[in-house]
Amino acid sequence: MHPAFSVLVFTVMSGAGYGLITLMVIGHLSGLSQLQDSAVLLSAGILSFVMISGGLLSSTLHLANPKNAWRAFSRFKTSWLSREAVFAILLYPFMLIYLGAIWMDMTGAVVSVAGILTAVLAMVTLFCTSMIYASLKTIRQWNSSLTPVNYIALGLMSGAVLLAAVQTLVGGDLAGVLQQLALALVVLGAVCKVIYFFWIGKPAGSTINTATGFTQASVRLLDQGHTSNSFLNDEFGYTVAANKLVRLRLLMLAVAFVVPFLLLLCANSVLLVVAAASTIAGLLVERWLFFAEARHVVRLFHGDQRV
Amino acid sequence: MTSQASKIPVASGLPEFEDRANQETKYTTCYMCACRCGIKVTVEDNKVRFIQGNPNHPINKGVLCAKGNSGIMKQYSPAKLSAPLLRKPGTERGAGEFEEISWERALDIMEKRLSHIRATDPRKLAYFTGRDQMQALTGMWASQFGTYNWAAHGGFCSVNMAAGGLYTMGHAFWEFGDPDWDNTKYFMMWGVAEDHSSNPIKLGLKKLKERGAKFVAVNPVRTGYQAIADEWVAIRPGTDAVLALSMVHVLLKNQLVDDEFLIRYTNSAQLVVHTPGEMGDGLFYRGEGVKNMQGEPQVWDLVKEEFVDANLPDINPALFGEFTAPDGRKLRTAMSIMLDKYLDEQYAPENAAKECGVAAEDIERMALEMAHVAFKETITIDVEWTDWAGRKQDKFIGRPVSMHAMRGISAHSNGFQTCRAIHLLQVLLGTVDCPGGHLAKPPFPKHIPPGIKPAKECAPNTPLKSPPLGFPTCPEDLAIDENGNPLRIDKAYSWDAPVSCHGLMHMVISNAVKGDPYKIDTLMLFMANMAWNSSMNTAQTMDMLTAKEDNGEYKIPYIICSDAFNSEMVAYSDLVLPDTTYLERFDTISMLDRPISEPHAACDSVRIPVVKPDRDVMSWQEVMVEMAGRLGFPAFTKEGGERKYSSYKDFIVNFEKEPGIGFLAGYRGKDGDKSLRGEPNPRQWEAYEENEGFFEMHLEPNQRYMRHANLDYLTLAKEAAWVGSTKQIVIELYSEKIQSFRLAGQGLYDGPMPTEEHHKERLVKYFDPLPTYYVPLEEQRIDREEYPYHAVNQRPMFMYHSWDSQNAWLRQIMSQNYLFMNRVAAERDGIEDLSWVWVESHNGKIRVQVKLMEGTNEQTVWTWNAIAKRGGAWGLSDDSNEATDAFLMNHLISELLPAKGDQNDRVTNSDPVTGQAAWYDLRVKITPAAPGETGAWPSFGALKPQPNADASPDMLSYTSHKNVNLVRPMSDILTRGEK
Amino acid sequence: MKLGLVVDLDTCVGCHGCATACKQWNTSGTIGPLSDKDPYGRDPNGAWLNRIRTYEVDDSPNSKTVNMPMSCMHCDDAACVTVCPTGASYKRSEDGIVLVDQDKCMGCNLCSWACPYGARELDPNEGTMKKCTLCVDRIYDESLPEDERKPACVLTCPTKSRVFGDFDDPNSEVSQLVRDRAGKQLMPELGYNPVNTYLPPRNKPVVEQYQPSLKATVKGWVNKVISR
Ligand SMILES: Nc1nc2c(c(=O)[nH]1)N[C@H]1C(S)=C(S)[C@@H](COP(=O)(O)OP(=O)(O)OC[C@H]3O[C@@H](n4cnc5c(=O)[nH]c(N)nc54)[C@H](O)[C@@H]3O)O[C@H]1N2
Ligand SMILES: Nc1nc2c(c(=O)[nH]1)N[C@H]1C(S)=C(S)[C@@H](COP(=O)(O)OP(=O)(O)OC[C@H]3O[C@@H](n4cnc5c(=O)[nH]c(N)nc54)[C@H](O)[C@@H]3O)O[C@H]1N2
Ligand code: SF4
Ligand code: SF4
Ligand code: SF4
Ligand code: SF4
Ligand code: SF4
Ligand SMILES: [Mo]
Repeated sequence: MHPAFSVLVFTVMSGAGYGLITLMVIGHLSGLSQLQDSAVLLSAGILSFVMISGGLLSSTLHLANPKNAWRAFSRFKTSWLSREAVFAILLYPFMLIYLGAIWMDMTGAVVSVAGILTAVLAMVTLFCTSMIYASLKTIRQWNSSLTPVNYIALGLMSGAVLLAAVQTLVGGDLAGVLQQLALALVVLGAVCKVIYFFWIGKPAGSTINTATGFTQASVRLLDQGHTSNSFLNDEFGYTVAANKLVRLRLLMLAVAFVVPFLLLLCANSVLLVVAAASTIAGLLVERWLFFAEARHVVRLFHGDQRV
Repeated sequence: MTSQASKIPVASGLPEFEDRANQETKYTTCYMCACRCGIKVTVEDNKVRFIQGNPNHPINKGVLCAKGNSGIMKQYSPAKLSAPLLRKPGTERGAGEFEEISWERALDIMEKRLSHIRATDPRKLAYFTGRDQMQALTGMWASQFGTYNWAAHGGFCSVNMAAGGLYTMGHAFWEFGDPDWDNTKYFMMWGVAEDHSSNPIKLGLKKLKERGAKFVAVNPVRTGYQAIADEWVAIRPGTDAVLALSMVHVLLKNQLVDDEFLIRYTNSAQLVVHTPGEMGDGLFYRGEGVKNMQGEPQVWDLVKEEFVDANLPDINPALFGEFTAPDGRKLRTAMSIMLDKYLDEQYAPENAAKECGVAAEDIERMALEMAHVAFKETITIDVEWTDWAGRKQDKFIGRPVSMHAMRGISAHSNGFQTCRAIHLLQVLLGTVDCPGGHLAKPPFPKHIPPGIKPAKECAPNTPLKSPPLGFPTCPEDLAIDENGNPLRIDKAYSWDAPVSCHGLMHMVISNAVKGDPYKIDTLMLFMANMAWNSSMNTAQTMDMLTAKEDNGEYKIPYIICSDAFNSEMVAYSDLVLPDTTYLERFDTISMLDRPISEPHAACDSVRIPVVKPDRDVMSWQEVMVEMAGRLGFPAFTKEGGERKYSSYKDFIVNFEKEPGIGFLAGYRGKDGDKSLRGEPNPRQWEAYEENEGFFEMHLEPNQRYMRHANLDYLTLAKEAAWVGSTKQIVIELYSEKIQSFRLAGQGLYDGPMPTEEHHKERLVKYFDPLPTYYVPLEEQRIDREEYPYHAVNQRPMFMYHSWDSQNAWLRQIMSQNYLFMNRVAAERDGIEDLSWVWVESHNGKIRVQVKLMEGTNEQTVWTWNAIAKRGGAWGLSDDSNEATDAFLMNHLISELLPAKGDQNDRVTNSDPVTGQAAWYDLRVKITPAAPGETGAWPSFGALKPQPNADASPDMLSYTSHKNVNLVRPMSDILTRGEK
Repeated sequence: MKLGLVVDLDTCVGCHGCATACKQWNTSGTIGPLSDKDPYGRDPNGAWLNRIRTYEVDDSPNSKTVNMPMSCMHCDDAACVTVCPTGASYKRSEDGIVLVDQDKCMGCNLCSWACPYGARELDPNEGTMKKCTLCVDRIYDESLPEDERKPACVLTCPTKSRVFGDFDDPNSEVSQLVRDRAGKQLMPELGYNPVNTYLPPRNKPVVEQYQPSLKATVKGWVNKVISR
């Protein structure tokens, strides 16, 4: 699949934003001492808000006809994209109430209810985003429960690193819980990702034979029906050399997981910022790979033997 | 077929889709190719909404091909020429610097130049036309002008098929006949990718497949039609005669021939004089003391036991045997000669297999399958008919084996004989013009050959005595001077190519530039892209077009071209006359030409404008009539010199070739109630318009088959002026006419004979009176090991020569061609898929991109024809795929034979009999290009756009009206849950 | 009603007639225009609703070439519809035709991702998704002559390899063809239940060989008395 930059930015940024706000709400409401300071909370909240909103705005950049974007709310019944849009928007009032309440130093039910709803909606939205991909039977590499697990794990992981960074930056010493949480989530994210790589490595699914209906002999494409470009080629024909993919996977694992893990161990605010940046950068590569390694079944019609 | 529509309840809630009140439908004839399908065009506000097939039309019965469906993009092509163009004084030919001039000025320039030539030496005008369909008019124009230097595209196209058929059965493949799609049970297709019968072949193949008839495709490449063949015979190019004659061998060996057919309808029982080394050897015996080729051929009557006139009815000729004439000369029946020749081991399947690459078992099996279908699955049609001798016959006997063959056969230098070999196979099986066999299309069949002789004399201000092109039957008919030198600029009808009945368009530029046989003044081209894809040796042709004498004058002093589009040829012209598009003009597809007849119906058709031109253009038809008037051609002027015809339309209605015969055969007579022959009908155009642009006259059931010997048919044909007499058309398996040329080569002819050795040798070798096989000439003259691959072309179904790269839709299907190669062969040679390679022939080299495939003969490489374009031409950008990645095979093909340092070096690369350009004789070698060497080579500088041309748009959203969207209501969106 | 097409792989010669017929009808039809980017430049790239692909089955020298035209299959389980967030994509309940409302599409491409058959292409100029309409604006248009109320591609196909009809009606031509010729769906394993069905190439017809009599081959030719 062609990795559209706007979509990479969208999923990574908003994923991190949702993870950040969710973890923050949990920490805040569960009474974690380092997360009772409104400066810390507001900083993290605003960062999350910016990342979520920036991501969503970025996602509209890949629409070819954005003037109809508002209609995306109308097919909640069947469309994960519509659900994502609805939940993403639904999140805003609660998040604003929650952050507003913190700003006004309010406490009590309003904060808790708004906070809980914000966290739940953030996770639901992230889940919907992941389901947009996971629900596509046409792309074997996405059509798996590993996709939502990955999205949520990586969203929480990047959120945790961000939270840790904000917390030390604004509030001083890093809370051990946050550090351990972040370390654990980084490990979890890495494990999920590695499992995913193993899983997509196994040949499975449709082949050029099932695509064309000729299952008794070899089938080769002679002519795709056009010699220059087509929408399908641009969208689905994206191909990266296998050795480049391997190198990028290693780079990604290093930048997204190993480097943040090591920096998290230092618990130094500057290094944590670097860790957060590294996580985001790594996840952009991860998301790029998520697209670049996904092979749509239409490719079978264009000559790939399997996907 | 039942309409599905009636069963579909009209869904409520659908809007009116588009406003049809604003639309008109008009009927005309497609000209996206020469198949000439009937079209129904929906027009709104002078814009084309939709072009669909006319379901009532005899050719296409409602269907259209990819090109026909893309007519809109031809009509709106940015490459359309918009005004007459004159090369700017002081600029070079080929630079493409033009000024727009008025039609008045253009016509004056032309008139001045042409009237001078006509008054001095008319042959200094060479007028050649490409893939056009108005040869009746242009040929007549040339002969009225008085130049024999005229021909259409046949010489570089498929004269081998025309001549092969017309010298054998009186009709032919190509546009002259069709398989009986409705009845045939076994169909063999030889070397056809698309052909002119584009939609009819497709409709026909569907019928075959539906009926379970067997479809065998003989072709080195398996694409297109061959894709759906039941059997694919991956022959080595140029060897089809071996395959056909080996099947003949199998039939003869097993005595599986239709002897009744041979005796009644062919000359195989006729007696041939056998006196090797003496005058008259190989000619028919025509009785005592009768001069060569005069009088009637004789046969031996088995009952009367004497020699009798072969053409008499109710005689009992011996099909086999050797006899002695009273004067002691040895005689053999033609059939006996055939037995000798084809039972020879050379044609035994085991030996044939080695040459053509088809397994011996397969050759034998196919021959026996065909024999089975022909003789055991015979069909009869119980219709009473009258034979040529006036005898009633109670049925037509059909042997349902049929064949079609085209350029895979014709584009080789042995194509004439190969084509005859295929006809021989058909005739031995008795499958000619019978139910289930190969059927002629009116005005064919004709007597063998048609009785027109090529013109030989030119005089100032005088029309030719006969048409420029005709059908020679003996050396006396050649267009040569007393020294044996060619009279025509293309050297047609010379010893180089004696039976070149369609001329040699591919030699004109090369000969004119060399001044061999002489210099010309003006080259006038209509619809021929000679500066690009229709020339052999393209790069050198471009040089020739710009070559100058020492005095600085161009070697071809003046070039006039009529084109509708900014083709490569435009840049090389001095005067460019912009034509209309096919949707903008009046035109006829005439019975005097190659009409749209179907086997069982005489048909012709017209074009009637459906949109108004938005440019300063004039149809070439109109230019021809106008110029004929201005130059005062006798046929176009009245006694006092005033013009006879005010316009092309007027000419078509009122011109009569002979009383009652005109360009259009339908709706003749004052009231339009006469067909084929009748006085001019002033309302003829209107009648065609009312009848959806065509005329169709069905033959009566008793006129539909065996027309070479069918009096009911021949009588009609004579009335219609299709044939000169109602005499039987005797199929000529043995061609005495061809033998007469061989005798001239042997020095045994009582008439003109060649003086040069190479001519003698060619006549002796290739003018076999019986179909024969010889190795194609290029292959004889190059090192086969050095050039291991055959290189051939195919026509893509969705492009017509160079015409369609300007078509925004069609060029999306293909804007680059590849060199296709068998995967196994490529792996052996270390050539990778999609790599760039050098392809080299004796004539030069090109760099191209390779694509590997399975379905190609291992010794063959091939590509799609005419995809490459010069940047800037055709409204294309300089970096278009056509200009940078696509390639022409033409650069590798020489118009002359490969040089060997002998007299043949100067001889045309053509069939030695017919002068048919031998495009597919090409042999090449292939080597990988160096790393980094990519892109097609050679490439030529981009051509200039026409003056005042609008730039080609970079986005196109064509629509003839504002689209009416189907809207889904919000309530539906919100409420419906899909499963 | 379940409308769709049967495509006969035994007779399709890959002429692209259906592809351009579709383009010309629909560019002025309800889904149009169908725009073309760089139509006269390098790498022209436009929106088409019907494409022809060609495959080679089996290895040289036994390969068979197969032309496969593909347009929207009007799937029973059309995920392209369910994924569409705007409701622009929909499947008509009355006849199963899958359409895109051009006024509502936001050009997110998701439906094209959901389509296994490459049936949807984004218009490079309009930014909306284009796909086969089964020529809804022909088949229901009563101002057209009855026998022309068929998809443009069906009307034009020179080998009549495309048949249009109602798959719900067991007596329709399409249903019969599917039964008689063992029609197949492409990529059935994905579960979209495409309505369009492909007829596989027929078996080769068997033609007997003439059994030559031994006598004929041994004995020479003898003249028979045949009157001319
Ligand atoms: N769409 C389209 N239609 C056209 C044209 C066009 O440009 N486009 N051009 C028109 C013109 S002018 C002509 S002359 C006709 C020509 O129509 P075709 O005769 O169909 O012409 P080609 O495409 O040259 O096809 C030649 C076929 O012969 C095969 N072949 C090559 N060498 C041999 C051989 O030695 N033996 C055998 N058995 N096969 C061989 C090639 O693989 C190819 O399939 O088409 C006409 N129709
Ligand atoms: N390598 C190779 N070369 C070949 C062949 C091959 O198989 N291989 N095939 C050969 C054969 S069979 C043929 S017939 C020739 C074809 O040769 P041509 O007939 O010379 O070639 P075309 O490309 O058809 O183009 C003729 C010109 O007609 C112009 N034209 C189109 N429509 C109109 C119109 O309405 N009016 C006017 N006045 N002009 C118009 C076009 O713009 C173009 O410039 O090519 C030959 N060249
Ligand atoms: S075959 Fe195609 S291009 Fe040729 S006349 Fe027919 S519809 Fe037109
Ligand atoms: S073919 Fe594709 S676009 Fe058509 S209904 Fe099926 S999934 Fe949707
Ligand atoms: S591109 Fe248009 S039709 Fe497709 S899913 Fe998006 S909004 Fe729906
Ligand atoms: S049914 Fe209509 S829209 Fe669909 S492919 Fe055929 S012509 Fe195109
Ligand atoms: S029009 Fe018919 S034969 Fe041609 S590609 Fe389409 S389905 Fe095949
Ligand atoms: Mo031709």
